Amino acid sequence: MDIELLHRPGNAAARITLKEGESCTAEAGAMIAMSGNMGIETTTHKRGKGGLLKAVKRMVAGESLFLNHFSVPSGEGEVIMGTTLSGDMMEYELDNESLIVQGGSFMCCESGVEIDLGWQGFKSLFSGESVFWLNLKGSGKLVVSSFGAIYPVEVDGEYIVDTGHIVAFNETLDFSITKAGSSWLQSFLGGEGMVCKFKGKGTVWCQSHNPSSFGWAMSPGLKQRRA
Amino acid sequence: MSETVNIRIHHDFDETALQQAITGFAALFKTEEEKASKVLRSAPVVIRKNVTPDVAEKFRAALQNLGIGVTLEQSASQTVAEPAPAPVSEAPAAEAVAEKATPDNAVIESDKDHPGYAFKIEGRPDFSFLTVTVPANQMIKVEASAMATMDTHLEMKTRMRGGLGRLVTGESIFINEFTSAGGPGEIGIAPAAPGDMGHVYLNDDTIYLQNSAFVASGPEVEVESKWQGLTKGFFSGESLFLIRAKGTGDLWFNTYGAMIEIDVKGDYVVDTGNIVAFTEGLDYKVSKVGGYKSLFFSGEGFVCRFSGEGKVWIQTRGVDAFLSWLHPYRPVPKRN
Repeated sequence: MDIELLHRPGNAAARITLKEGESCTAEAGAMIAMSGNMGIETTTHKRGKGGLLKAVKRMVAGESLFLNHFSVPSGEGEVIMGTTLSGDMMEYELDNESLIVQGGSFMCCESGVEIDLGWQGFKSLFSGESVFWLNLKGSGKLVVSSFGAIYPVEVDGEYIVDTGHIVAFNETLDFSITKAGSSWLQSFLGGEGMVCKFKGKGTVWCQSHNPSSFGWAMSPGLKQRRA
Repeated sequence: MSETVNIRIHHDFDETALQQAITGFAALFKTEEEKASKVLRSAPVVIRKNVTPDVAEKFRAALQNLGIGVTLEQSASQTVAEPAPAPVSEAPAAEAVAEKATPDNAVIESDKDHPGYAFKIEGRPDFSFLTVTVPANQMIKVEASAMATMDTHLEMKTRMRGGLGRLVTGESIFINEFTSAGGPGEIGIAPAAPGDMGHVYLNDDTIYLQNSAFVASGPEVEVESKWQGLTKGFFSGESLFLIRAKGTGDLWFNTYGAMIEIDVKGDYVVDTGNIVAFTEGLDYKVSKVGGYKSLFFSGEGFVCRFSGEGKVWIQTRGVDAFLSWLHPYRPVPKRN
């Protein structure tokens, strides 16, 4: 699987080239174009693994149940993937390790990477954001996307990131959900709500903009919807 | 005036090492290997003139990674100061490569021998803006409300766009025609959505555009809405109409997000929300992607399958997808 990132950093797209026998698993809805010979299969789980139980687990996590698997029956084929919001993308290669990815930032991964979707290590219910988290483990390439720019922060010690700004982080980091200010009232009024405090050594990739802040900023200008 | 330098490269590669360096050089400057080879084979040569020392240092570091030697020379307004002037004939090729070295190829400018109007597209690929110089007493067709700036002697006339389709689709049915009376005039055109912009010179050809992709065209290009047929339009979830641009002259079109040009041979599948334009030779069919399970759950819904030989331009973001993303943020009316 070859990955080429196009038109970074404003409206990035990923061009994935697959050879016979290779396959790529992508978030539902990510495909924007593909060669005619590309096969697509939609499943509720990683191909050949898991099953109903995992699907239910993911439903509980409040996340779309479906993944698309791309593969070519013969020869070579390409698939181009994009996101809804403008922003950058990043390629990462797992070497028998784990990466925690914010659900909305996951784009696609190679077949050697296992996706644990019901990953509840990050108590998303308490994070105050409607985000879910994926645990990607194994070996292989993957692509994540961001809203706005993407930048790495090397953590050695402690570091705080707003939950809405996290794209991905190494599993080597310990984390806890906490309040940003010294008091709950201040955190609430300051609009920071819950933040994530990382501890240990590893990298956190952050996005420059918070999608839900953007959505709420647009909100007053939008037409009412039916309740 | 601040101090500037020229970057001169030199090397003593044998043929295999040279090939490697060419590949690296081409990748570094995002250019074809042919051009890279031309430049490297003509070394020692100045590849960049009058750059600031910081920039020069970056070039030096990148080039030395490839094993290419770099000498920085003080820029001099007189050529006398150059110790070993590069052969004049090779300089333009090197300059062409160096131009491409600007990180993001942000400007498209028409060549001198371009048969249509002289133009410039700036701010690519995220915030494209088009500036066209309209020759004396010539006309340019522009999408309604897209004009941002213009010379005072340009005269505007509003016309109905051909085809009844526009009435139904809710898009503007008008096109503005700007005529440059008396002398050449400049017009700045900004499309509604931020994104990339493409240009083609039609030579008695036809190009189909997605409904909101039209930006501007030359006077001899006929722009009209065309009924796509019930199945093609309905199932695509997009508009039932496409814009057909036909004739001879310039055509500019824009995207939401960046643009990717695809040469289709055989067949190619594009999500209906990401189609920007395609050439007439292509046949297209709206179909589901994969099986029925994929139809409902893949998030892709219906796609457009192009077949034949031609070009398709696609956009990396979609307006409809963005609108659905925004939907949950729409205010809910309060109940009394």
